[in-house]
Amino acid sequence: MPDAGEYRVYEVFFQKDATDFHTNVGSLRAANPEMALQMARETFFRRDDAYDIWVVPQDSIFASPHDAAHLPVRGMDKRYRLPSGYDNAPHWKRFKAQAMTIEEVADDMKTRGKGGPS
Amino acid sequence: MGEDERMTDFMARIASGQRVEANDWMPGEYRDLLIKQIHMHGVSEIMGAYPEKEWVPKAPTIRRKLALNAKVQDEIGHGQMLLRLAEDLSRPYGRGREALMDDLLDGRVKFHNVFHLSAPTWADAGVIGFLVDGGAIITQAALLDSSYAPYARMLKRIVAEESFHMQYGESVVLALAEGRQAQRDMLQGAINRWWSPMMFFFGPRGMGKSAERMMHYKIRTKTNEELRQKFINRYVPRLQALGMSIPDPAVKQDPATGVWGFTEPDWALHTDMVRNNCGPESQSRLNLRKQAHTGQQWVREAVNEASRLLEREGA
Repeated sequence: MPDAGEYRVYEVFFQKDATDFHTNVGSLRAANPEMALQMARETFFRRDDAYDIWVVPQDSIFASPHDAAHLPVRGMDKRYRLPSGYDNAPHWKRFKAQAMTIEEVADDMKTRGKGGPS
Repeated sequence: MGEDERMTDFMARIASGQRVEANDWMPGEYRDLLIKQIHMHGVSEIMGAYPEKEWVPKAPTIRRKLALNAKVQDEIGHGQMLLRLAEDLSRPYGRGREALMDDLLDGRVKFHNVFHLSAPTWADAGVIGFLVDGGAIITQAALLDSSYAPYARMLKRIVAEESFHMQYGESVVLALAEGRQAQRDMLQGAINRWWSPMMFFFGPRGMGKSAERMMHYKIRTKTNEELRQKFINRYVPRLQALGMSIPDPAVKQDPATGVWGFTEPDWALHTDMVRNNCGPESQSRLNLRKQAHTGQQWVREAVNEASRLLEREGA
């Protein structure tokens, strides 16, 4: 519950683009959600564009305690889980073929048409 | 705004490259197509974890075991994220997670043909990471510009994780290709098993009605044949470089057009398998899924009840 006489605190989240997720940019005090949204525009988006803005009452957020025991930390080598943990290029080279990256596949999908040259 | 006007406005927004959000007005057909696509995608991620999960205890080294386990976790995670999107879209129908999972167990939602098949050797586990994930990456990367923003966003995240799957799959296949003759034979055997199912994976040349409607609404922007051609074009030269043969003599590139030929997969067989869950492993994997769903029902109920009690006490 907000303190007597104090406005409630809202956390502000914004989405830069339709394909981005919401990111927290800070918080503000406001009398109600509509005012909070208006204040968010005034406070955080005087210059930058935003695709979408959320205001969330701070006491609605249940956060993780901020210590190593409660947060995901790299307690061990996790290279096996990462694309960088695999060095396939020299192996492909042995077979006279080129290594692939996912970025290259994604770019390929932007081009139209059939197979084309490999 | 009248219904016609809203429809015109909606189509104009899509045509101009704007994206649709979960709470925006959308035509009923658009919503239903999205539910069909994302629901199927979500349960396929979950069922897709099963053939690989079978190999976690049997992986040849600890590093491969960790990696395969990580991949299985990713697939289940992708299923969770996609089902959430399908749930948001299904809200007007009053259908949540339980209903969407029941659809899978009761055969009302299909999952990809490849996940109905057996993975008898370690090379199959590798070829799943190489060819099946390769195909899935192509279809998912082609959906990154989907008109439905929540799907496009989630796919961006999913594709980033698939990057590891791709490198992992290649790594397993390369190790077998660099191995002894028995390992190379095992790899060839797995390729022989998975090639034709992968041709089915992308769907018929002439697309069905709902696929065409998805193109109309820019939920997807590539045809089945475009995706299949991208796949063949990418993987045939690599398999050949490894000294593996493609188990289909019709796979040849037309030098003039660049188009790859292929033998039609057994459409009736795979369609029947997907529609009626009658593939070699369909029922056993659905049973495992059912065990997880019904076997843990009491846990979900107990946690809900305990949370309700705590809330009442705190109030």
